[in-house]
Amino acid sequence: MTTTQENRWIGVSAPRREDAPLIRGRGRYIADIEPAGTVHMAILRSPYAHARINGIDTAAAEALDGVHCVLTAADLEGIGDFPTIWRLPGQKECTTPAFAPGKARYVGEPVAAVVADSRYLAEDALDLLDVDYEILDHVVDVEAALADGAPVINEDMGDNTIIEYTFPGINALGVAGDIDGAFEEADEIVSGRFKVGRYSGVALETRGHVAEWDDLRQTLTLHSGSQVASLLRTELAAALGIPETSVRILTPNIGGAFGNQWDRYPEDILVSLASMKLCRPVKWIEDRREALQATVHGREQLQEWQLAANSDGTVLGLKGRVLSDQGAHLHSVGIGPAWVTGAAAVNQYKIANYHCDVVGVATNKTPNSTFRGFGGPEAMFGIERMMDKTARRLGIDPAELRRRNMIQADEFPYFSPGGAVYDSGNYPAALEKALEAVEYDKVREEQQSLRDQGVYRGIGIASYIHVSGFGPSAILGILDYYTGGYEGSTVKIDPHGRATLYTGMIPMGQGTETTLAQVAADHLEIDIANVRVVWGDTDQTPYTGFGSAGSRSNVAAVAVIKAIEEIKAKAVRIGAGLLEADPDDVAYADGRISVKGAEEMRSLSLADVAQQAYWAHKLPEGDQPTLEATYVYDPANFTTACGTHVAVVDVDIDTGKIDWVKYVVVDDAGTIINPLLVEGQIHGALSNGLGGAMLEEFVYDEESGQLLSSTLMDYLVPSFTDLPDFEIHHLVTPSPHTEGGFKGMGEAGCFPAAGALANAVTDALSHLGVEADQTPVTPSRLWSLIDQAGG
Amino acid sequence: MKPAVFDYSAPESIGEALDLLAEHGSGAKVLAGGQSLVPMLNFRLARPAHLIDVNGVGSLSYISANGALRIGAMTRLTALGESGDVAGAHPVIPAAVAQIGHRAIRNRGTIGGSLAHNDPAAELPAVLMALDAEVTARSADGERVIGMQDLIEDRLFDTTLDDTELLTEIRIPAAAGSSFGFREFARRHGDFALAGVAAVITTDGSTITQAALGAFGGTHATRLPTAEAALVGAEAGDAAFAAAGAGAAADFPATSDVHGTAEYRSHLINVLTVRALKDAAGQAGGGNG
Repeated sequence: MTTTQENRWIGVSAPRREDAPLIRGRGRYIADIEPAGTVHMAILRSPYAHARINGIDTAAAEALDGVHCVLTAADLEGIGDFPTIWRLPGQKECTTPAFAPGKARYVGEPVAAVVADSRYLAEDALDLLDVDYEILDHVVDVEAALADGAPVINEDMGDNTIIEYTFPGINALGVAGDIDGAFEEADEIVSGRFKVGRYSGVALETRGHVAEWDDLRQTLTLHSGSQVASLLRTELAAALGIPETSVRILTPNIGGAFGNQWDRYPEDILVSLASMKLCRPVKWIEDRREALQATVHGREQLQEWQLAANSDGTVLGLKGRVLSDQGAHLHSVGIGPAWVTGAAAVNQYKIANYHCDVVGVATNKTPNSTFRGFGGPEAMFGIERMMDKTARRLGIDPAELRRRNMIQADEFPYFSPGGAVYDSGNYPAALEKALEAVEYDKVREEQQSLRDQGVYRGIGIASYIHVSGFGPSAILGILDYYTGGYEGSTVKIDPHGRATLYTGMIPMGQGTETTLAQVAADHLEIDIANVRVVWGDTDQTPYTGFGSAGSRSNVAAVAVIKAIEEIKAKAVRIGAGLLEADPDDVAYADGRISVKGAEEMRSLSLADVAQQAYWAHKLPEGDQPTLEATYVYDPANFTTACGTHVAVVDVDIDTGKIDWVKYVVVDDAGTIINPLLVEGQIHGALSNGLGGAMLEEFVYDEESGQLLSSTLMDYLVPSFTDLPDFEIHHLVTPSPHTEGGFKGMGEAGCFPAAGALANAVTDALSHLGVEADQTPVTPSRLWSLIDQAGG
Repeated sequence: MKPAVFDYSAPESIGEALDLLAEHGSGAKVLAGGQSLVPMLNFRLARPAHLIDVNGVGSLSYISANGALRIGAMTRLTALGESGDVAGAHPVIPAAVAQIGHRAIRNRGTIGGSLAHNDPAAELPAVLMALDAEVTARSADGERVIGMQDLIEDRLFDTTLDDTELLTEIRIPAAAGSSFGFREFARRHGDFALAGVAAVITTDGSTITQAALGAFGGTHATRLPTAEAALVGAEAGDAAFAAAGAGAAADFPATSDVHGTAEYRSHLINVLTVRALKDAAGQAGGGNG
C-alpha cells in the first residue's frame, strides 16, 4: 500500500509519460496514417501577391493517368467559409474561404487542388493546371497599405483598414484617465517607433490531415493535427453542410503546434470535400514551402509609443498607435493578438493614464493570426524598450526606473487601464531576484572596464505579465469572442480502482498528459501509474470551448480536480453504506474510504468501493451505478503569470554579431505542477522568443510581393548553439482565482525575450546611441545602425 | 515537394558512368552526395530526364599524398576534413570543411559534388581557387585537366564541364612554408556564409612573398587580386592587412538578400580578410598583427 507522502504528485518532476514512445519512434503522426485506398492531395497556390483569377483550365490535369479529381472554386457551391471567431465592434466582416475568392491575395493562397494516386502524381498534375491570372498591384507594407491610392485587397471592405479599436484607458473606477493632462504635466516625453518582425511557430511537423468519408454511414472521420478539435468539428460540419454528429476528429501525436494549429484552414475543408466527392480516404501533408507560405504568420506590428514621465522617473502616461499587419484577410482570431497588445502594454507598471489605438491593416501577405504569445510579446517589446529609453533620457538606471513604477505586491487585484484585472504576483521581488542572479552591480562595473578593452557588453532587463488561462466565458462574450472558455474533464474509476481521465486538451509538446495525470493522482491520492489519460478523439472526450493552448493546463487541471471531488463524494457515500456508518463520519484520504478515527479498522480501498459501484448491489439511494464524473470548468478569472528576464550580451561592432554572456529568467506561474516540464516550457518558449528577436523573419519583397523566406535556408530557426544557457529561477505566487493556484505558463518564456535582447544590445552600444528598435536584430541591420552612428 | 519523373542509373565503374553521360548528355545529372541536387529535384528546380548515381563508383573515393595531393571526386567531406594527409599538406582545407553545413551533411556531401555544383556561398570552390587546384574531367572521349579558375571563374551554379564530362579528381599542388587564415560569417553555425575568405600567404620572415585569397558568399567564388597585390612585397602587418581588407571589399562581388545587404557584405569581407590575415601571420610566427 502507498502512503500519503508517496501519492502527492503536484510539484513533482515526474518524467513525461509521452517521452518513451516519442523518443523511441513509436509516436504516430498524421503522415503515419494511411488507410487502405488512400489517395493524395496537392494544392496549387498563387505564385502572385495579388492577381485576379479569370479562369482555370483543368482539362490536362484531369486527363493525367492516376488523377482522381481537381477542385477549384467552382466546386465550392454549398460550402461555407470558416468564420473569424473574434469579432470586435467595428471590425469589418471577414472569413477564411477554402479557395481564393475570385482573386488571390497573397503568395500561397490556395487556388486549386488535385487528388491523385500519389503525391508525386498530384504534383505533376499541378504543373498541368493552366490558370489565367490577371496580375494586380500589390502592397506588402502596412503604411503603404493605408496610403491614399493603395491597392484595395478586399474590395468589400472599401479600403485596407479592417478595424480601428481604441483602448481609452479606463481605470478601476470605470472612468478614462486624463492622458492629455499627463502629457502636459510631464517633465519629459519619450517617443519610440518599433517594428516587430513577422515570424511564426514553424513546427517540426507541418500541418496535415487524412479525411475518411464513409458514404454508407454518412460520417466523416478527420485525422488532424489541429490543437482545437472540438471547434474544428463544429466549424467543419457547418462549412461542409453536414450534421456535426456525423463528424469525428481524431488527433494523433502532434510535432508542434505553437498556436498556429489553433486556427481553421482552407485545407481542412478541401481534404474533407475531396474525400466526400471520391468516397475514399484523402491525405494531405503540408510540405515545408507550403508551411512557410500558408500556415499563419504572427507578430508583425508597427508600434508608435509616447511615454510621459516626471524627472524622478514616475511614469504618468502612455499612449500608442499599433498598426497590425494582418496579411490578406482575417483568420480565425481576427485582430485578436493586436488587441491583446493594446490590453497588455502597460505591463507591470502603475500607469494611470493610458490610450492606445490598434489598427488592423490588410496587406498582400499570409494572414497574421494565432501564434505563441498572442500579442503579449509584441506588447512587452514596445513597453520594455520604452522603459529603457525613458531610463536613459532621465539618467536613471533601467532597473531603478522599473522599481519605481511597478505595481506592488499588496495592490492586487489590480485593475489595469488596458482592461485586464491582474490577479496576483510580486513584480518587485521577481526583478530583485533576477538582478541578484545576474549579479547586476558587478556586471555593470565590468561593463565599464570591458569597454575600455574594446568589448561592448550590454545588459538588458525586460519584465512581463502574461494574462493566461483564457478565459471566463462571460468575459469572452463581452469581448465578442465567439467561443466559450471552459474546459471539461471526465474521470472514470474502473472496478479495480484505477482512473481513466478524458480531456479535450490535446498534448502538443507541453506534457499535458503527464501534468493532468499528476493532478488526478494527487487528488485521488493514488499512484500516477494508475491514471490513464485519454485525448484526441471527439467521440470520447469532452467538448472544449477554447481548445488546447500552451497556457491552458491550469484550466483543464481545475476541471480534473472538480470531477474528482464528485467522485470522492460518491465514493464516500457508497463506502459509508458498506461500512455501515453515517456518511458524515466517513472520509476520503490516502486513496481510501474510512470511518474517521477508525482508519485502521473500518476502511475500504478505492478498488473495494469501485467494485461495489460496478456491481451496484447495494448503492445509496439516488446514486447511479459505476463511479465516474464529468465536470466542465469555466474559469472565474484570468490568471496573470509574470517575471523578469535579464540578458547580457557582447556585440562585435565590426560585424554586428551578438554573443551571449548570460541569460537569467525569473518566472512566477503560481503553483507549479511539474518543475521539470515548467523548465522545458520556459526553454522552448524562450528559444521561440529569442528566435524572433535575432533570426526568424518572414521577409517580403516590396517589388514583387514574393515571400523571400520560403525555405529553411532563408527562414532561420534557432538551434541550441545559437542560444544562451538559460538560468532559471522561480517565484511562486499562487493564483487566488483557481483551484490549486495554477497559472498558465507555456507561453511566458517568449514574452520578454525580444525586449531583453534589444535592451541589452542598445545598452552595449550606448556610447554610439544605437537603438535596436526592430526585430529581428540581425547582424546586417545592427551593423548598419552602428555604421550610421559612426561606430 | 516531390521531384518530377526521372530515369535512374547506378553505374559501378567510371567507364560505365561515362558511357551513360555520353548517352544522355544534357538530359542527365550526376548524383554525388545529393546535398544540393536532391533539394533542387524536390523543388522541381532541376528536372533532369536521367539521374546517374555515382555513389556506387568506389574508385572515385580516395586521398593520395604522393607528391601533389590528389583527391577522388566522391571523397566525402567528413573524410576530407579528417584526413591527416590533407591536414598536413593544406591545413586550410579541414578548417574550411569544419564550417560546411552540419555533420550529417558532411557525411554525405562530396568534394567533387561541391565543385560541380559551384554554389557561390560554398567554401570549397573558393578555398581550392586560393590553393591553385586543378581538376580532372573525363568523358568517353578522353580526359582533360582544368584549373580551378577556368572551371568556375565568374560562374554560379555552373562550371565549364561539358555535359558528357565527369569530374573525377582534384589535384592540389604543395604549398610548403605557407600559412593560412580562414574566416567566414554565417548567421548560424552551419549556414551558408554571408561572406568568407581563405587566405594563404608565404613570408620570408617579414615580407610577404606570396598571397592567394579566395572569397565566397558573393555572386560567385572569386580570387581577390587587389587584396593579393596589396600584400605581395609588403611587410606582414596591420598596414598591409588593412590595405588587403580594403582591396578585398573592392574585389568582392557582394549582393543583397534576406540575410544582409551588399554594403554589409562588402564591409564583412574587409573585416574577415583582415582577421584571416592576422590568423595566418600569427600562425607563421612572424606576424606582427
